[in-house]
Amino acid sequence: MFDFLIHGFGVALTPLNLMLAFTGALLGTLFGALPGIGPINGIAILMPLAYSLGLPAESALILLAGIYTGAEYGGRISSILLNVPGDAGAVMTALDGNPLARKGLAGPALGLSAVSSFIGATISIIGLTLFAPLLASFAVNFGPAEYFALMIFAFSSLSVMMGKDPIKTLIGAVLGVMLATVGVDAGTGVMRFTGGLPELYDGIDFVVLVIGMFAISEILLMLEHLGSDSGRLAPIGRVLVKVKEVLFCKGAILRSSLFGFIIGVLPGTGASVASAVSYTTEKRISDREGTFGEGDMRGLAAPEAANNASAVGSFVPMLTLGIPGSGTTAILLGALMLYNIDPGPMLFSEQPRVVGGLIASLYIGNIMLLLLNLPLAGLFARVLTMPRWLLVPGIALLSFVGVYQLHSDLMAIFLMLAVGIMGYVLRKFGFSLAPIVLGFVLGGLMEQNLRRALAMSGGDYGVLFGSGLAIGLWCAALTVIVIPMVFSGWRRLKASAAR
Amino acid sequence: MSRAADRMLGLILMAVAAAYAVSAARLEVPFAYDPLGPKAFPFGLSALLAVLAVVLLVRPAPGGRWPTGMLLLKVVATLAVLALYGMLFSVLGYVLASALAVLALAWLFDAGIGKACMAAIGMSLGSYVLFTYGMDISLPVGTLFGGH
Repeated sequence: MFDFLIHGFGVALTPLNLMLAFTGALLGTLFGALPGIGPINGIAILMPLAYSLGLPAESALILLAGIYTGAEYGGRISSILLNVPGDAGAVMTALDGNPLARKGLAGPALGLSAVSSFIGATISIIGLTLFAPLLASFAVNFGPAEYFALMIFAFSSLSVMMGKDPIKTLIGAVLGVMLATVGVDAGTGVMRFTGGLPELYDGIDFVVLVIGMFAISEILLMLEHLGSDSGRLAPIGRVLVKVKEVLFCKGAILRSSLFGFIIGVLPGTGASVASAVSYTTEKRISDREGTFGEGDMRGLAAPEAANNASAVGSFVPMLTLGIPGSGTTAILLGALMLYNIDPGPMLFSEQPRVVGGLIASLYIGNIMLLLLNLPLAGLFARVLTMPRWLLVPGIALLSFVGVYQLHSDLMAIFLMLAVGIMGYVLRKFGFSLAPIVLGFVLGGLMEQNLRRALAMSGGDYGVLFGSGLAIGLWCAALTVIVIPMVFSGWRRLKASAAR
Repeated sequence: MSRAADRMLGLILMAVAAAYAVSAARLEVPFAYDPLGPKAFPFGLSALLAVLAVVLLVRPAPGGRWPTGMLLLKVVATLAVLALYGMLFSVLGYVLASALAVLALAWLFDAGIGKACMAAIGMSLGSYVLFTYGMDISLPVGTLFGGH
C-alpha cells in the first residue's frame, strides 16, 4: 500500500529534485516574507517561470510545492515582527506573536513558530500519506455523475467556508466557470464566447489568468498602501527556542495540527479558517490567566501549527480526487494541467511518480525549511523592509517574462492586463480571488463530466442521482449549505428569546 | 460606505448573464454527439448568475473605498506603463524596455528620481543576467536592433 511512498522517495531524492525542493523552500520563504505577497501570489508569479524551465511534471510540482510550504513559513515573519499579516492565514499569528516581539522575545517567537510549523506540517504529511491512498482507492469508483456531484459539493462548501460573503464567493466561482467555457468546445468543435478573436480559440490561458489576477491586480492594490509603509523592526536577537517552551505548548500544537489537517482536507477551507478555529479553541481551553493576546506562547504556536497543517492537508483532495482544497492548490492543479495531466480521481493511480514524488518531497522540504528558518530568520526578516518601489517593478518583470515565455504575442499581455483590471475591480467589491481560480480550474471538468454522464444515460437526468455515492455527495452539498443557515437562525431565535 | 456599489454590481452581473446567454443561444451547432450539447451548461450558468445577481440587488453589502483623484490617476498611469511595457517588450528588447518600465514604476511608487534610475539600471541588467545565464530563458533582443 505504501509502494507509492518508496517510489516517491526514489523520485524526490534525485539531485535535481533535492535541489528544486531546496530552491522552492528558500524562494517560498523569501516571497512569503515580502510585504503584501502571500503564498498564492508567490506561486502565481513563479509558476510560469517554473514551467518554462522545461522540467518534468513531478519536478515542477516539487518546486512549486516547496514554494507553497515555504511561503507559509515566510508569512509569519511579518506577522510577528511588524504586526502586518501577509495574508489571511497569518492574521491569528500576529495576535500573540507581535506582543511577544514587543516584549523583546522576537527571537524565541520566530523559533517557536518555526518549530510548531514544522510539527504541524509533519503530522499533516503523515496524515496525507496514510489517508490519500485510502481516499484514492475509494475514488476509483467515481463515474462522471459522481465526479459532477463531488464538484457541486466542493463549490457549496467553498461558498460557505471561504470569505465573509457567501454570495460573492459563489458569484466568483460562477464567473470562474464561465471564463473556463471560453474557447473551442471539446465535444462539438464549436467556438464559444471567443468574440471572434483567434487568440481565444484555445480558451483563456491559465498562466495569463493567474498572473493577471494575482500579480497585476496586486500591483494596483499596492498603490493604496503607499506612505503607510512598514514601521520599525523589533530587534530579533538569536532565534532559539527552549525545549521547555515547546513542551509548554505541546497540547496546543498537537490539537491544532489535527484541526489544521482536517480543515485543510475539506475543499474550499484553507489556512485562514484553520488558524482561526485553532486559536479560538486554544483560547477557550488554555487561557485561564487571560494571557492570550498579550504574548502567550501557546497563542502563537496554535495558529502556526494549524496553518501549516492545513496547507499540507489541502493536498489530499487535490491529489486523490482532483478537487483542490484551496486557491493555492487550484493553481498547482492548473500547473499540472499545463503538462496535459488530467486531474481527477485517477490521478493517484495514473501518475504515481508525480503524486509519490510530491508527497516524499514534502517530508524532505519540511526538514529543509526548519533547518533554513532557525538560523536564517534574521536574514529573511531583512526582506520585510523592501520598499514598494523595488518590489513592484520586480513583480512586473517576473510577470512579463513569465507570460512572454509562453506567448510571445501582444494579445496575451493585453489579456493579462484586462484580467488584472477585472481582479482589481472585483477585489474592490469585496470578492476574494481564490473561488474564481477554483471555478476556472474545475469549470471545464465539470461540464465534461456532466455531459459524459448524460451521454451515457441518453439524456436521463436521473443518472446524476443514480448511485448511493452520488446521492451521498448531493446530500453532503445540501448539508453544508443548510447547517450554517440553521445555526444562524437558531442563534437569532435564542437572542430574541433572551430579550 | 453606501450599498450603492453592490446594487450597481448586481445590475452589471445581470447584464453579463444576459449577454452570456444570448451569445450561447446564437451558437450554431451542426451536430452534437451528446444529448446536452454545448449550449445547455452555459444556459445553466447564466441562470445561476442571474439569480445570484438578484440576491445581491436585494441584500447588498456595504462596499469598500473606491479610488478617486490622485489615486485613480496613479492606477491608470500604472496600467498605462504596463501596457506600454508590453508593446515595447519585443521592439526595444528586454533590457531597454525593462529599464524604462522599472524607472516609471519606481517613480510611480514614490521613489526619488535618483533611486528610480539606480533601480532601473540595476534591475534590468541584473534580471537579464539571471534569466539568460541562470535560467536559460531567451529574451527578445529588440526588433529595433536587428532582433526578431
